[in-house]
Amino acid sequence: MPDVAFAPGTPSLDSLTGLLDREGCVRAVEELMRHVRDPKHPVAVFWLNIDRFKQINDSLGHLAGDSVLAELANRLALASGNQGRLARMGGDEFVLVVDNCDRATAEHIARDLLATMSHSLDVGNMRLYPSVSIGIALSLAQENARELLERADTTQLEAKRYGGAQFRFAGEDLQPGRLGKLLAREELEVEEALHVALENGGLTLNYQPILRVADNSLEAIEALMRCNCEGTMIPPGRFIPVAEKTGLIVRLGEWTLLTGARFVAHMLETGRRVKLAVNVSRAQLTAPKFTQALYAALACSNCPPELLELEITESLFMDNSDVVQRNIHAALDAGFPLAIDDFGTGYSCLASLKDLPAKKLKLDRAFIVDLPHNARSFAIARAIVHLALDLDMTVVAEGVETAEQYQILEEMGATAIQGYYLARPMAEDNLDDWLAQRGAAQ
Amino acid sequence: MNSSAQAAPTDDANKLDSQLEATLKEIGIPPRPAILEEISREMRSDDPDFNRVANLISRDVGLAASFLKTANSPFYGYRHKARTVRDALVILGLNVAGRTIAGLILRHVLPGGQNMERFWDASDRTAQLSAWLVQKVGKIPDAQSDDAYTYGLFRDCGIPIMMRKFENYPAILTEANNDADRPFTEVEEAHLPTNHALVGCLLAQSWWLPEATCLAIRHQHDYVLMRAGLHSLPAASRRLIAIAQLAEWLLQNATGMNKTQEWTKMGEACLAQLGLTEADLPGLLDEAKLFLEETYNAA
Repeated sequence: MPDVAFAPGTPSLDSLTGLLDREGCVRAVEELMRHVRDPKHPVAVFWLNIDRFKQINDSLGHLAGDSVLAELANRLALASGNQGRLARMGGDEFVLVVDNCDRATAEHIARDLLATMSHSLDVGNMRLYPSVSIGIALSLAQENARELLERADTTQLEAKRYGGAQFRFAGEDLQPGRLGKLLAREELEVEEALHVALENGGLTLNYQPILRVADNSLEAIEALMRCNCEGTMIPPGRFIPVAEKTGLIVRLGEWTLLTGARFVAHMLETGRRVKLAVNVSRAQLTAPKFTQALYAALACSNCPPELLELEITESLFMDNSDVVQRNIHAALDAGFPLAIDDFGTGYSCLASLKDLPAKKLKLDRAFIVDLPHNARSFAIARAIVHLALDLDMTVVAEGVETAEQYQILEEMGATAIQGYYLARPMAEDNLDDWLAQRGAAQ
Repeated sequence: MNSSAQAAPTDDANKLDSQLEATLKEIGIPPRPAILEEISREMRSDDPDFNRVANLISRDVGLAASFLKTANSPFYGYRHKARTVRDALVILGLNVAGRTIAGLILRHVLPGGQNMERFWDASDRTAQLSAWLVQKVGKIPDAQSDDAYTYGLFRDCGIPIMMRKFENYPAILTEANNDADRPFTEVEEAHLPTNHALVGCLLAQSWWLPEATCLAIRHQHDYVLMRAGLHSLPAASRRLIAIAQLAEWLLQNATGMNKTQEWTKMGEACLAQLGLTEADLPGLLDEAKLFLEETYNAA
């Protein structure tokens, strides 16, 4: 799968405080909001802004300002204990997200936060008495994470206008605030970075092995794109959505096809016959020159099509538009194997599986992450695995992180496993070492 | 995008597969040469080491000589002549130098074979003329001689690859060159599952050439798009296409080389793109002849 999910090991962190950064925060809020079952116990967002921070920075310098921020971040972490997730949204803005939190609990937490943050603080020979303004928003059923955050942000400004050192609860109406603008600007920055990466050699592929359960042999390797812009890695969760929105994903996808095809050809030259799986996006599949690009990648390499597997999401397979169906069948005719990616997260019914022209199914990580504790995930995963096996498909479980999960999937009958438990995505050189150590390539 | 977008290869799929299969054992297209990687690495560094890059280039005497010659070419318009590779690097800057070198190495890493010498000579002349045109035509926004030169060299880099992969490509090429109606790539796609413009674009992209250059390679025969001047193709790409197309027309008319039908299909749109009219052509042609004589007979 395109690793845009909130994958463990690749969180979006703020470099000064080690807290989640803005994008990481949005993802964390999304994650928590998905699990709200009862509107009486919503997700609460506390947006904190340090009062008079500009004054501290201007009079004591940025270094002192940074140490104040780090100390306040620490206090915040202590005050919030184990409840919720903490993020730094930039500058002197922090967010605490707590799930399953009614209004009374939120009020209690806010009072705690005000008290903890206002203890005096020594910087050099100065003693400061910091305070914060807090805007609190409780999630509504119909809103998304960004809207929720924005309500909290706007309310924090209100608290500040009323004199600071206090908290206020947000109304239910969304007034477009700064967060929207910040995120829009961030998207522009990511888009710019992608253009730079495409001209400066900032794109690379990482490779994650997928191993068969039966004999631990190599079923395939998945290619995952990485983007490095002038020394800074931009996580896939951040650049892939922007690339999709701007249409740049077509060029990135074609680059991946060619680079992947060359990788396979290079492997063949060294005597290793491995199948490489590459993700194909909606924009690529709806582009009129998709098939020609596939053949162009073959023409520029010595890659046989049967070793380049195209991973296409379930919802794209189900897309009835002429161009998508024609492209899928042209790829099949050209000899590329197809895999259904992220299966189980779309809306198709299991019966539709028999009509899809793919020989492989990749079970979405959403079912795996809850194992072994979630009986529902277990039941669905088992049903999908059994049905796919009955249809003679190869079943790959994605996102397997523990021995326990591996064992459950083995017992279910999954054909192959992908995940951190077996191997992380790695650079080509590291993959060479990994393969050499195992001697597993066939 | 032209309307032929969906020329699906299904009918001949099996035949084509076996053609591709048959060529699998032949040499593939090498990834970006290591020397370009080294230059990029220096470019990205805060304190680029020109001596190191100069040493790398100088290891290949032929490359060093071609590089110096190109750097001193009149189209760059520098008053001071570079005497050493290091001079040339400093004068051009690593960015331009990298692209110039990419163009110089290109012909050596692509498959050769019969008639390829003439192909590369024509490419080189078109590239030189393109760079010269940028100076000649006067101020063209976003168009620079070095970009036009690189584009001229890379524009048709898909052709040697197609030649190598598809046996019947020479015949298809002839048919495409003589077709006064359909876009060039549409003629290719009537016989083959891909076209040289797309192959060239993928190759250029994997060598990290500028986006405008890659897109200009991809859409070089898209006369519908050129005529409409649509914004789906950046203005810089449209100008590169127009410059190289005019350069090709000048070359064909100056030397009496094989004529193609591209000017019939795209000439008007190209002139409009460059702010020229038919009336400018005879004068340009005379000057182009002089430029070619100076450049190629001087040695």
